[in-house]
Formats: sequence, structure tokens, C-alpha cells
Amino acid sequence: MRGYRIEEHPILKFRRGRVVKFRFNGVEVEGYEGESVLASLYALGYRVFSYSKTGRPRGAFCMIGKCSSCLARVNGVPNTRICIEPVRDGLVVETQSGLPEIPSETHGDVSEEEIEADAVVVGSGPAGLQAALTLAGHGLKVVLVEEHFKLGGQLVKQTHRFFGDTAYYGGVRGFRIGELLAEKVRASSNIKVLTSTRVYGFFAEGYLGAATVTGEPRHYLIKSKYTIVATGASERLALFENNDLPGVMGAGGAQTLMNEYGIRPGDRAVVVGSGNVGLIVAYQLLQAGVDVKAILELRDEIGGWFVHAAKIRRHGVPIKTRRTLLRVEGHDRVEKAVSVAVDGGYNPIPGTEEAYDVDLVLLAVGLQPSYALLGQMGAVVKHVPELGGLVPVRTWSMETSIPGVYVAGDLSGVEEATAAFLEGELAARSILEKEGLADGGRAEVLHYLWNVYRMSPVLERARRGKLSVTLSEGEMEELRRGAG
Amino acid sequence: MARRLIIVGAGVTGLMTAKFLVDRGFSDILVIDRKYPGSGGSFRCATGVRASFTSREHIKVMLRAVDLWPKLSKELGIKYSRDGYLWLLTRDRDVEFFREAVKFQNSLGVPTRLVTPEEVRELAPTINTSSVVAAVYDPIAGKASCFDSVTNTLTHLLARGVEVKWGVEARKIAREGRGFVVETNIGSLRADSVLVAAGDGSRRLLETLGVDLPIRNLPKHALVTEAFRPVFKPLIIDWATSSYIVQLFNGNFYIGADIPEVYDTVAKVKLEFLRKAARVWTSYFPWLREVYVLRYWTGYYDMTPDHHPVIGPVEGLEGVYVAAGFSGHGFMMSPAVGEALASYILGERPLVPEFERLSPGRFARGELIKEIAVFG
Repeated sequence: MRGYRIEEHPILKFRRGRVVKFRFNGVEVEGYEGESVLASLYALGYRVFSYSKTGRPRGAFCMIGKCSSCLARVNGVPNTRICIEPVRDGLVVETQSGLPEIPSETHGDVSEEEIEADAVVVGSGPAGLQAALTLAGHGLKVVLVEEHFKLGGQLVKQTHRFFGDTAYYGGVRGFRIGELLAEKVRASSNIKVLTSTRVYGFFAEGYLGAATVTGEPRHYLIKSKYTIVATGASERLALFENNDLPGVMGAGGAQTLMNEYGIRPGDRAVVVGSGNVGLIVAYQLLQAGVDVKAILELRDEIGGWFVHAAKIRRHGVPIKTRRTLLRVEGHDRVEKAVSVAVDGGYNPIPGTEEAYDVDLVLLAVGLQPSYALLGQMGAVVKHVPELGGLVPVRTWSMETSIPGVYVAGDLSGVEEATAAFLEGELAARSILEKEGLADGGRAEVLHYLWNVYRMSPVLERARRGKLSVTLSEGEMEELRRGAG
Repeated sequence: MARRLIIVGAGVTGLMTAKFLVDRGFSDILVIDRKYPGSGGSFRCATGVRASFTSREHIKVMLRAVDLWPKLSKELGIKYSRDGYLWLLTRDRDVEFFREAVKFQNSLGVPTRLVTPEEVRELAPTINTSSVVAAVYDPIAGKASCFDSVTNTLTHLLARGVEVKWGVEARKIAREGRGFVVETNIGSLRADSVLVAAGDGSRRLLETLGVDLPIRNLPKHALVTEAFRPVFKPLIIDWATSSYIVQLFNGNFYIGADIPEVYDTVAKVKLEFLRKAARVWTSYFPWLREVYVLRYWTGYYDMTPDHHPVIGPVEGLEGVYVAAGFSGHGFMMSPAVGEALASYILGERPLVPEFERLSPGRFARGELIKEIAVFG
């Protein structure tokens, strides 16, 4: 079985951990400590991790625990998301076929801990990290909860240098920012960090419930005066024939493989979508040694920034506008992708099909905010297409319709990481101001976010979207009375 | 323009009534729902169907429903299966009570029987029966898909010209000439007759007509887990803790459990419920400890003082019918209730005479029905 490990990379050096041995469908396999089970298996060439009720193979898709494509049986427990399950010695991993059998083993007693804090931050991407550090820096006791076994959210796989103000990490590569902030968080005595832990809901007793998703079973009941929800976004699927075939992957999923774990997601690829994510991921595929055949764009124009598109074109990758994916073909993984030209109404034009021999189809067709927790808590949400879907209505301070509950980052509407830092900072500073701990920073952040950062013409759409769900304190009070 | 009938509430009760009416040639029906079809109790319930009750009225009505469910299943493609009910008894005094209940049920034609812990293990593989003294098994009880029941019936109605409007909230009903006017958020709707089958909203709506029914809404809690291959068939009740578990047709386990609640308060999600559900059912099924809860929601039982529904014409207000106060049993009864209401609306007496004992007037007359067992 051929390996997919990247040995040479122009930017990244992969420091791999100790070799660990585990079993996959009865075969002994190896991975490196610090990887997910899925990453280790992918590096060895495995592509199918479960089968649907009707027997269709399922592979890797999101790679961050948000979809249900990689549910497998781990140590007798079915429906384990192996993309966020850390690989370790002696694990027994088995593919599932259709509905699983019930668990055959149980693991230990659940220990419970009650935690009181000034603020709880859910999610450790750019928004959550920034918010936690700002609050903790002013003496507040913070609990930071992250579902993944690593801190950093999607920063860990961003290899490009960020744009913008150096105050918000302009000029620094994304994964470096993530490492830097995670180190600071770990070093702060005011922040309690819970990784591999999912906040599963808010309850009438006044607690957020949280539980570990892997390892030792622990249950946390968290009570806090303030909550910042920064759960990010997940990738959208596109509609075409066989879109569930292994090898069809979210662009972010491929980034996780190649930039976080140093694993080549395929040999030959087509990218669907020419927004910034599509353009950047195409470039990163080239860096990882993948042959990128084409980028397909449904619309008349390239969606992303000129600077990214120009780089792609210099490498000879065609960006084909007014074309979309018609279908993919293959037995248990992608072997071929077929695109088609579309007319003004985005309908396929027969006879214009083009086939590509590829083993990878990356979807960069947008993100949708992960609003489930805020929805469960009862926050008023609104559908805003410019922001990717349902997003919470909020004040200029990022407070939702639930008093004391704030939102920041992609969950508030999909934008760039810089906006997430700014919103995290703004939410934190608004809380500090309420607590009488402000040092004048809030107004500056608010001003920079709206009057400087979002004034860029390329952010016009996002700015318009966010304006449509941002209320004054008075308007929010009215909404709360109506919703109550 | 006045319609012949407006049904307030597109839950399974309202839709089944419309079905029995259109099938008998009654046309010009409008069904309205403040949210969407099934959005009240229908889509929240445990989907169990049984005739093993402890009052003659419940048993007779439910025996008719148990007869009708397989027919509807065949006609409308509603998933339904006689998978049985199992009451786990952990105290000797409960066994004594159920011995009497079984005798009563058998005398009315419901073939329930007491079973041993060994038989329980056969009926419910993987169960830990260390605390079980005995159990009661009802082989003719079962479950039906609540989703099929609503959507397939709805499809049947729409194909036969019944009009169904969503997002229409009835706020007031008043007499107007020989008919009625229903005030809603989309304006006034007129009809010769009105059926109020609005679940927890029924009492308030009937009050606008001057009809006062003693229905109170009790918050209830339910969850579903991840889906698995079939493990056990019956709906299982733990009698001592008033909680139950059932594996639904699509493989998820549905768990309900009673926690202390206050009538007519807003239902809220509570850790207390999750704790109780987990405590009770992980001790019976230890493997549940490794199973995720996918969804947890609340709803209401619309409770009457005698825990029996209010069904039939409202005395003194010709043209107004009610089907409410089901006290947790509305889904399972709906075929029989729909059939009986259709009879009333067509000017006939219901096929099952016990329906007449469930009339709205019984409270004023002090003719309450008593039942000891309310669960599921």
C-alpha cells in the first residue's frame, strides 16, 4: 500500500510523533502520535471508513468532527468520528456498514466536575482564542472548551501569511498565529482549557453541559456570568451525481490532511469554487505535490481576490468560469470527474462535458455557520445568504438576544480569520466594559472593525450582511420583549 | 364564503378526522395549524399504541384503534408494527396491582399477561433484569411512525381537495348567524362547523366561545439517541420511575421520563431529565452508556382531571366539536377518534358507544372517569 506522507514541503516542516500501532479491520497499521485515526489511515492509502444503509462507501469529508462521513467503530464503540479521535497504541478500529450494532464495550465510570467561571468561551479558533486571552488578561476567570484534541480551530491549517494590520497578525502565517495564541492560552493561569470536550447544551438549571468526546469519560457542569459562543462554521456539500464518493472532500478537509498532518490528499485534483478558499487550497495542493487539473467556477467571474487567482494562473492551473461539476465516477473512490458548461440560468449545456482523470475533488463552495448550540440556547437567528445561512441577531457589542451570551467569528456570519479575531476581541472588551474593567479598548476595536477593516471593497458583501443582523441596544431590548 | 368545516389543528387527530370525513364523501374542509402539520404532540410523542388500560372507556376506544391501525397502515403506507409493550415491575406491591389490571384487561379482550424476568430477557435482549420482580406483556400493543401518520394522511387529504393552511393561528371563535367565524392572523375564516383539535392550545381557544374545559398542560420531556440495528421490539416501561424506552423504526432509541413539573408553565430543557433518563435506562441497558443523545425536546400532555380525553360535540353549541385533553394518548387513539368525530359531524352516533362517556359535558355533570395508570 503506497504512502501519502509529504516529505518535502516549501513552507512546512512536519515534526511527527512517536510511532503507534493499532488495528484497522483486523490489520495492524502504524500512525504517528498527535495524528487523528483518520489521518493515519489516509496516509496509508485507506479511503473508505464506513458504508451507508444502502451500501454506498463513505470517506473523509470535513476532517474536523462536523460531518458524519467517517463514523467508525473504535474499541467496540460505534459512531466514533475518527477524524477527531487521536490515534494511540492498541486501538481497534473497524468500518461500519449501515446502521451499527450497539456498543459491545463500555469504558469506565463518568466523573463529574462543576465549574464556576466569569466567562466560558466555546470554540478555540481565532475568535475564541482572542476572546479568552483578552478576558483572562484583565483578570477574568475563563473556561475555554474545544471539541478537537488541539486548540486553534482552522488556524492550524492556514499556511498563508495573513493580510492587514500587524496588530491583528498581518504578515504572519495562520498556523503560527494559532500556535502563538494556544501557547499564551496554555500559559495563562486564568484560563482553564478543556479539549476533546463538547458543549452539548444549556439547561434551565443554569448550567452549560459539556462532556469529553474521547478518552476518559468526564462530564462538566459549567456556570458562568458570560458565555461567548465561537463554534465556527462547516463546509457545504455541492449537488452532483455521486457526491458522496470517497475522494470528494471539503477544501478544509484537504487542508487538514496536507497542512496539519503532512499527508497528500490525492495525486490529481479538481477544485470546485473559485472563492478565496478554493484559490488558496489549489495553491496549497500544488505545494503538497498534487497535480491540480482545473478550478471550476459556476459564475461568470472568479470569486476570490485577484492576488490569489494570479498566483494560481502563474502555475498553469486553468480557472474555468461558467462550468460546474456534473458527476464523479469510480468504484469505491473517485476515478474521474466530469464538468459541464452552464448557461445564464446555471443550467448544464449538453455536449459540453469535459472529463478529468482525478482521484480528488475538493469542494470550496462556501461555509455554513455552526449555530446548533446557540439555537438550542434559544438565541434569535436569521437567515442571511451573504453570511452563509442562519446567524444570530446581535448588538454592536456582539451580544445575542440572550443577555450575557455573545457570539464571535464565523458563527456570527462567515468572513475571514481577521474578522474573527476582531469580533472575539470586541465581544471580550464589551464584557470587560460591563464589568467596569475596560481600558478604553472597546471603541477602538469597534471603529477598526467597521470603519477600517470592513470598508475594503472585497468585504462589501459581508459588511452588508452583518449590518442586517446588528441591532442597537434599544432594538435588541424590543426584540427580547417580543421573543419572550 | 363559509366552508362546511374548519379543523383547528393539523395534528394527527385533526388529519385523521378529515380523512374519515372525505372518505365518506364530506367535502369543503379547511384544516389550519399555527405552525405546521404534526408540529405539536404528534411529532413529539413516543408513538406507542396499546389497549392495555385500566378503564373500560380507554380499553374499548383503544381496541377500536388497534383494529384500525393495521388497516390505515396498509391503506396509507404508515409504518406500524405489533411489537408489544412491556411493563417492568420492581416492587411486589406493583405486581399485585398489575395482577388485577391484567384480569380486568383480559375480561375486556386485551390479552395481557404477567411474565417472568426470564421471559423479559427473551423479549428484550441485552436487558439487565437484576431489579425486575416480574413484568406485564401486552402482545397486541405496538408502535406506528408518527411521521408517516401525519405526512401520508396529509398527502391523502390534499389529493382529495382538502385545504390545509400552515402558519395560521386561530385566536378566537365566535358564533355568526348559523355558523362560526374563526379569527386568525390571516383574517376571519367562516364555517358551518368547527372542530377544535389544537392540543395544548385547545382550552384557551374554547374559552373564547365561553366553553370552559378543565384541561391543564403538563410539561413533558423526551430524547432520541443515535440509531442502531434492531435490539428489542417492545416499548418498555419502568413502572416505578415512570419512564420508558422504545426503539423507533429508524433505529433510534426514544426515551421519556417523568420529572417534577408544574401545570401550565413553559416547558424548558432540564439536566434533571437527562440525568433521570440516563440513570434508569443505563442500568437496564449498560451499553447505553456509550450512546449519544441526538436530540432532546419538550412538549405537553394536555391533562384532564380524569386523564381521559374530551371528545365530541359541545353541548349547547351546535356545530362546535372538540377533541382535546388526551392526557398523553392522543397519537395512539387518533384513528378511532377520527372515525368517531366523523360520525358525530355526519350526524351519527359513534361506532364505539364508550365515546359518548368522553363528552365535554361530563365534567359539569360530575361523571368523571377514573384510571390509575397514565404513562407512555
